[in-house]
Amino acid sequence: MTALLLRPEGAPAPKLPTLPQVPGDTLWSALGPETLGAPALEIAFPSFKDGRGFTLARELRDRLGYRGWLRASGDLLPDQATHLRDVGFDDVLVSEDHTLPAWERAAQRFKRRLQRIAAEPSPRAVAPLGDSVQALNDHFAALSTEALFEESLRRRWPGAIAVLSSFGAEAAVTLHLAAQVDRFTPVLFLDTGKLFPETLAYQRALVQRLGLGNVRVIKPAPAALAAVDPQGDLWTRDCNACCALRKVEPLTPEAEAFSVLITGRKRVHGDDRERLPILERQGTQLRLNPLAAWSEAEVEAYFERFDLPRHPLWAQGYRSLGCAPCTAPAGAAGPRSGRWAGQGKTECGIHRPQVVTVR
Amino acid sequence: MYRYREDETALVLERIEEFEDQIDRRLSGELSEDAFKPLRLMNGLYLQLHAYMLRVAIPYGTLDTAQLRALAHIAERFDRGYGHFTTRQNLQFNWIALTEVPEILRELAKVGLHAIQTSGNCIRNVTADPFAGAAADELEDSRPWAELLRQWSTFHPEFSFLPRKFKIAVNGAREDRTALRFHDIGLQWVRGPEGTGGFEVWVGGGQGRTPRVGRRLRAFLAPEDLLSYLTAVLRVYNTHGRRDNLYKARIKILVDSLGLEAFREEVEACWASLPRDTLHLPEGERDRVKGFFPPPPAAEDAPVPYLGPPAFVQWLKVNRRAHQRPGLASVVVSLKPIGGTPGDATAAQMAGLADLVDRYGFGELRVSPEQNLILPHVRNGDLLALWEGLTDLGLATANHNLATDIVACPGLDYCNLANARAIPLAQALSEAIEKAGLSEVAGTLRIKLSGCINACGHHHIADLGILGVDKRGEEFYQITLGGRAGEEAAVGEITGPSLSADAVPPAVLRVLRTYLALRKPGEPFARALQRLGHDPFKEALYDRSAA
Repeated sequence: MTALLLRPEGAPAPKLPTLPQVPGDTLWSALGPETLGAPALEIAFPSFKDGRGFTLARELRDRLGYRGWLRASGDLLPDQATHLRDVGFDDVLVSEDHTLPAWERAAQRFKRRLQRIAAEPSPRAVAPLGDSVQALNDHFAALSTEALFEESLRRRWPGAIAVLSSFGAEAAVTLHLAAQVDRFTPVLFLDTGKLFPETLAYQRALVQRLGLGNVRVIKPAPAALAAVDPQGDLWTRDCNACCALRKVEPLTPEAEAFSVLITGRKRVHGDDRERLPILERQGTQLRLNPLAAWSEAEVEAYFERFDLPRHPLWAQGYRSLGCAPCTAPAGAAGPRSGRWAGQGKTECGIHRPQVVTVR
Repeated sequence: MYRYREDETALVLERIEEFEDQIDRRLSGELSEDAFKPLRLMNGLYLQLHAYMLRVAIPYGTLDTAQLRALAHIAERFDRGYGHFTTRQNLQFNWIALTEVPEILRELAKVGLHAIQTSGNCIRNVTADPFAGAAADELEDSRPWAELLRQWSTFHPEFSFLPRKFKIAVNGAREDRTALRFHDIGLQWVRGPEGTGGFEVWVGGGQGRTPRVGRRLRAFLAPEDLLSYLTAVLRVYNTHGRRDNLYKARIKILVDSLGLEAFREEVEACWASLPRDTLHLPEGERDRVKGFFPPPPAAEDAPVPYLGPPAFVQWLKVNRRAHQRPGLASVVVSLKPIGGTPGDATAAQMAGLADLVDRYGFGELRVSPEQNLILPHVRNGDLLALWEGLTDLGLATANHNLATDIVACPGLDYCNLANARAIPLAQALSEAIEKAGLSEVAGTLRIKLSGCINACGHHHIADLGILGVDKRGEEFYQITLGGRAGEEAAVGEITGPSLSADAVPPAVLRVLRTYLALRKPGEPFARALQRLGHDPFKEALYDRSAA
């Protein structure tokens, strides 16, 4: 007979010769103060088919506020190991030692449950490349942009890839290319709370026009805003801190759920983007920039070919759209010259430029 | 449609590995059949009369074309070239080899499908309105809610070994198309006291050997409380539901024995004890899931094309449903060809349909509790081309909700619980009704047939229900009248002595003719039955006066 720890990372088992036993079919309301005062309890399941012990453990925790050690025993199957763990048992008494390997295997399975997947984003490792970044860059450079999207979304990284979109001046091109392959491609959109109302209207219109079915609107946490920027005027004092608060921090956990993020950055944007590769590493993730080599004329032609709507502020000379306070129409210095104009700042920080070693 | 994240896919694959391990342990003798049975059932695997049957979950009845093609491929490669769509919006493969199950599950996982919790004493596939996101009478799309419930209930650590199975339905339209009052929990979208939307909660409905209309547990539940409140209901059921008698283990029996008031008090007290933060459904999460179910891309406002071949016009009249957006229609693809097996589709039909849905249906389709398929979004301008394609596939039968749209369980041809065959009688009945020319003239008239009292054919909620019984080793059929789902939910009443299989079709024809003779203009069968009482129809059924 062996006691198998269900949460090895938790506290060690208390040293007790025998634990007070509670039959699994006991009503929670029948448990007296002497039981609830014990530092450890053993719930004995009469049959693996009788799931009352699972609810009894939850009632002990939720309704009776029991914080002591909980052990499961009785007629249980190895396949119930993670059920026991996730309702709050600390260990299980395995009565037949020859089943111990099966119990250990089972306890290792199902690290997460769907119940929590909904609430927590999960950091993922980089999807296996199969090739080096450089080899993939060469491969992608030889493809049409449409074929690049098809391969990336359908075959190379399905489920692990998302589009990062500002719904700004040129965003319709990337979104249209993605939607042509799969309109349920995840799209991450940062609503910083400082966007132009025209951008929000354009976002809704584009979602409708392209039938996008998986847009995740990411907003700064209200608690963080209240703590760091209660008046909403941080941008007047420190626009880097404002970008960090409203863009970088909210995006990071959402982005970590994906291995690859598609961006709409282009070399013609200038500054650090002049040498932008199609594929680059950023930390443990990959950034895919399928339009890196596109010219302004090609973008223009794409809009015309598919009759895509322009951002409402396009007509007023805006060529790159960020937050309203820090964005002006573009000047002669290039399409992004209206961003943080006169501040010597060219990037908000969600795209950290990496040094790419070309071999 | 909802798309798995990487970690959700990983979870499904882990589950397959686990099941493979369980199969190995069963084959090596480490697991007894008694221990293996509940494990295989929770993976959708039954042992039927002739072979293993695999029940694949179609989550809340929503399918995309890649999934339909995968089902066609599995039917072709691992089964006998067909599958059976069920009244629970699932698909059953009838001729499966145990050793091939993990491979089938891997094929399913590639397209985001699985067979998890399609059987066993756990929370089953959630029922939703098959016209969700399309119906003209919709208040709220039920699919995101069904998806949130799917995520909450799948592999639930506390509720996987319940006293008995547990079925939940979500309806977001004015008309109840989910039979929510015949589910363990039924959720109806309503406007609350402050004008915001939420759920009316029904509990303890069900069919089977003790049919019960659900009782209203709560007039209004705020959406953010959905998971915490359902947790409380399940917790009370798991604690107090009977485990000594298989036939008295459903929640309906617990509600009967405690009484609705006492049951409600238990639930409310438990609910108050729950940690609200972990079960609270924040708006952001609701919106995230809702984002997977966008309206279809806008269509040109073209009129419904009521011109064309007469068979097309007839099909349009019977099988088209109004859509909430101009220029679009919803279309029912009947799996009830005259003389066919209700709910069956061949691999070729599934693959052919997938092509049509890609071309004309925005890549999306639904499975209805009436064992038909539905294309929720079709441009009016594409209806004729779609119909032509369906005709080529043998899928253009114009009988949605008519007397030949007969629902039937697999019955004694497959099922080891059945007392009588269901399929041959459904075939004979639909042929007789069609030959007599009564299908169309009788209008909406639901005939449903179950091969035993477990009522998988939903005979309790049919205008005319047929139940197979065993009478001294022979197959007989009991007829019920007046069953219905919806706001006036009622269990059908038994008419009298059971009939032999040969006697059923002529008896049903007499009932239909009696109805046609006695109805007021435009009066549906169910209304005529209410106005006239059952007597004239019983007399016709048993031929006590020449009708």
